[in-house]
Amino acid sequence: MKSSPLPRSNLYGLLSLIYNRELTAETLRELKKPEFRETLSKLNIQLGGDFFNKPEEELLLDLTLEYTRLFIGPGRHISPHESVYREDKEDKGLLWGEATVEVKEIIEGAGLEYKADYKGIPDHISIELEFMQRLTKYEHEAWESGDREKACRCLEYEKLFLESHLDKWVPLFCDKVMEEGKLTFYREMARLTKEYISLEKRYVNELLSDSPKAGQIVD
Amino acid sequence: MRKISRRGFLKLGAASAAVLTVGSKFTNLAGAMELKKVGQDFSPITNRERKAIPSACWQCVSRDGIIGYVEAGRLVKIEGNPKLPRTNGKVCARGQAGVNQVYDPDRVLYPMKRVGKRGEGKWKRISWNEALNEVTAKLRELRDNGHPEEFMFHYGRMKASSGKIIKSHFLAAYGTGTIGNHTTICEGGKWVAQELTWGKHYDINDVTHTNFILNFGCNLFEAHTSHVPFAQRAIKAKAERGVKLVTFDVRLSNTAAKSDEWFPIKPGTDGAVVLAMANVVMSEGLFDKDFIETWTNVTVGQLTSHLKKYTPEWAEGVSGVEAEKIRSLAVEYAQAKPGTIVSYRGAVANYTGVETERSIKMLDAILGNIDVKGGTCKAVGAKWKNSFKKPKGHAKKLNILNGFKGDAAYPNHHISHRVLKMIKDGRNGRPQMYMVYCYNPVYVNGEVQENISILKDEKLIPYYVNVNPFYDESGSLADLILPDATYLERWDWEDMVSYDQIPEYYIRQPLVKPLGEARNFADVVCEIAKRLDINLGFNSAEEFVKDACEHTPGVKEAGGFEFMKREGAWYDKKAEPLYKSYTKKLNPGDYTGKDILFDKETGVYWNWKKSKAKNREEALKKGYTDTKNAYKGYVGQKIGEEVFLGFKPDKVNKSGKFEIYSKLLEKKKFNPLPTYMPVPEHQKMKSDELILTTYKVNVQSHSRTQNCKWLTEIYHENPAWINPETAAARGIEDGDRIRVRSHLGKILTRARVTEGIKPGVVAISNHCGHWEYGRYASGKIVNRKATDVDASLKWWWRKGEHPNYLIANSPDPIGGQLRFMDTVVTVERV
Repeated sequence: MKSSPLPRSNLYGLLSLIYNRELTAETLRELKKPEFRETLSKLNIQLGGDFFNKPEEELLLDLTLEYTRLFIGPGRHISPHESVYREDKEDKGLLWGEATVEVKEIIEGAGLEYKADYKGIPDHISIELEFMQRLTKYEHEAWESGDREKACRCLEYEKLFLESHLDKWVPLFCDKVMEEGKLTFYREMARLTKEYISLEKRYVNELLSDSPKAGQIVD
Repeated sequence: MRKISRRGFLKLGAASAAVLTVGSKFTNLAGAMELKKVGQDFSPITNRERKAIPSACWQCVSRDGIIGYVEAGRLVKIEGNPKLPRTNGKVCARGQAGVNQVYDPDRVLYPMKRVGKRGEGKWKRISWNEALNEVTAKLRELRDNGHPEEFMFHYGRMKASSGKIIKSHFLAAYGTGTIGNHTTICEGGKWVAQELTWGKHYDINDVTHTNFILNFGCNLFEAHTSHVPFAQRAIKAKAERGVKLVTFDVRLSNTAAKSDEWFPIKPGTDGAVVLAMANVVMSEGLFDKDFIETWTNVTVGQLTSHLKKYTPEWAEGVSGVEAEKIRSLAVEYAQAKPGTIVSYRGAVANYTGVETERSIKMLDAILGNIDVKGGTCKAVGAKWKNSFKKPKGHAKKLNILNGFKGDAAYPNHHISHRVLKMIKDGRNGRPQMYMVYCYNPVYVNGEVQENISILKDEKLIPYYVNVNPFYDESGSLADLILPDATYLERWDWEDMVSYDQIPEYYIRQPLVKPLGEARNFADVVCEIAKRLDINLGFNSAEEFVKDACEHTPGVKEAGGFEFMKREGAWYDKKAEPLYKSYTKKLNPGDYTGKDILFDKETGVYWNWKKSKAKNREEALKKGYTDTKNAYKGYVGQKIGEEVFLGFKPDKVNKSGKFEIYSKLLEKKKFNPLPTYMPVPEHQKMKSDELILTTYKVNVQSHSRTQNCKWLTEIYHENPAWINPETAAARGIEDGDRIRVRSHLGKILTRARVTEGIKPGVVAISNHCGHWEYGRYASGKIVNRKATDVDASLKWWWRKGEHPNYLIANSPDPIGGQLRFMDTVVTVERV
């Protein structure tokens, strides 16, 4: 056990929140807190002067309009849904494709369900990141309770989902956001997301290969 | 190792048959390997069962019955519903691609409110509650001020139960009559001609039983309003019975190509050929005297003398079709009886379209082909019954629906392409709130540039709401977009006319839940009604459809709503096809009563109380023809000593006869008998000018399918068709960039040089050149880097050009039809 999965889980949670919807005032206030700013700058993530200096209301509107322009439209926008990007699938370029069904089945297969009031599409980026948040949290709990087998199973699941889903499209999505984003905030969040997914993929693989027992778990 | 040849394998295979016959008792798999019945399907990849749900298409107005296959909550495939005779279980490419409507990656999934300037493209997502608060506040304000008519509702396609819920119930209860449609950009002129002649519009060409199909300007194998039902029966008649199909069209459409003969004809001159054929029929004595003298309002003598001047030689000079051909075709058509004449936009969407259609109906009438088996028939459709009472009372309306004074003599279907001009003009008032539903006024009308500037102007239109599953050219100028469900996510009962003269009842039901926060607008109006304290009596479209299934005779007995949800369709298997409905005799009880009057001039029995007459005296004094809305009280037509149902009027006070002689047109200073009216602009064309026409193809509808990836992959470019002779005179070669210019402006496009078009004409399809409507329609992607996934999703780059920039929003003088087929242009190489 190299590091606790809890921070990993939290970072997934943060990213999920960022893409989930337009930022609320409360979230924004949390993000602007000095501790958080410091952590980000250690990671070399710069949210820009405006982010910290602009009056809250103005900034919130800027961020809302940018979120809408980037991820909702109407019209030309960057779709936050996996199936639109999956060139390897027969129905590429459309919403609710084969990939969406796979994502839904993996998530539901893990014992989770979409909330009844969730109106989005099952392969929205925030859903996929939230699923990783839940998996890593579950992994953390398993380690905590000494259930190595369960923890390794979680890791297998993480690997599966990272490799067969997130990594298949999130880097492409992030590239577009970095290129099209007008506000530093979303560009930097996209950079963070892309790097994190890449890191996570390596990390999970390393961890599984370090753990011979984990490698044997096939479920 | 020696290879065994393919032939060797085949020989061994053939030889094995005998061995297998002997060894058949040793097999281990039971059952026959045959296709399961339609209605059950399994994915070959995932093995998941696919749920089969019957519903109805809406990709075009044909509205065929379909079955949607849903696997793990995802719509994967659409087929035709074999329970409906209309399509024999088939559906066209557009219908199959309906899947793409639901899953269009550029769908509007949330209510969107404009933040920047109108048209600037800055939006904010808001909740349905906020959106409806905003909408209802405005509606309440207008109503409380006593001006509900300042709420204008403008729809493009709104049929069957959706039309009933939104228009007949909600808008009627709210109290606005300022309700626009889009019929004059389709075939409004054709319908007006029919209403002046035989009453309610829509003609069924009974090709299943006909002996001859004569076609003027209809691309029936690709794009009719009853595309699949009609095309199937026509091709069957040709293939199985050798029925002749002769097509007049400026362009070699796929219909023309599949015809026995194709006559390239000069645009706007079909009527001349038809009149000349009628001339031949009369002069050769090939007419049906009995029908003319009994059921029409003209005599043989009157017709003969009227048609005398329309000789085939004269028609040749006008249309370019050889006189001898016209003569022989007229005789052949007359002798093949029953025949049927097909007509559509090629013949009617021009200056003289109403007269052309009247001439066409006259030709079928004088040959006795009207409403007979194998002839040209009155349409038969389902008659659904709902138990909910329609709101009564007078709805106020702004007088902006029928164009300017003098635009059209009988704008029976309004003049939708003049609405924005009327708003700009302002003399008849302006809507304070303009809502469009399934309508893209910017794109589908002519004079695109002006449409944009009017919609953009907040002084002309203060508040504008767009109800739409997609972000189209008109939506981009809205103040609020309400995300509508697609047709595959909603409820309806359906009633499209039959090609077997038997009413077919079918429903549309959701195949999947509306994506995102999209909501069926018929459900949304139920909520708006509640917020406005209007009691509609029902709460949802589903409830409305269920009610109809439980109250409609036939459907009810078959099992009502549950039956319809399962089967999708019902029709009376013992029903006889309905022909000659006009010959139905009325009993004296039907046409006597204290409110029923007899009009001596026309021989019409009518109930004055259903008209706008104030009292009986006024009705008697004005008479049937001159009393407003008298046609609504039409009861029957006296012929000889008997009273018949006759040709029941609709929209105008026509008698119950088949009116070849139109007193209504005479009153408006038009020739009462079908006449050739040359297109004025064509009479003064300069030698370098050409005529622009438009057309449609088999894999797109006019403007609402280009977002479908599967369709736009097939058809995404619309080069201008031009004849080699015309092209050579301008130094144009196939594929060259060309500039097409009309008095309104110019477009840049490409030339397709082909013998498949009449010299002097240039044809550009209506389907291309979207600049919104998502990435597939508009060609817009987020960026074009080679590594960009969006870029690799499509291999085509061109998106074609939109011809409507060049076409005027001018109406034909009788019906108000937009003249899509007679614009004068010049063409030059770039």
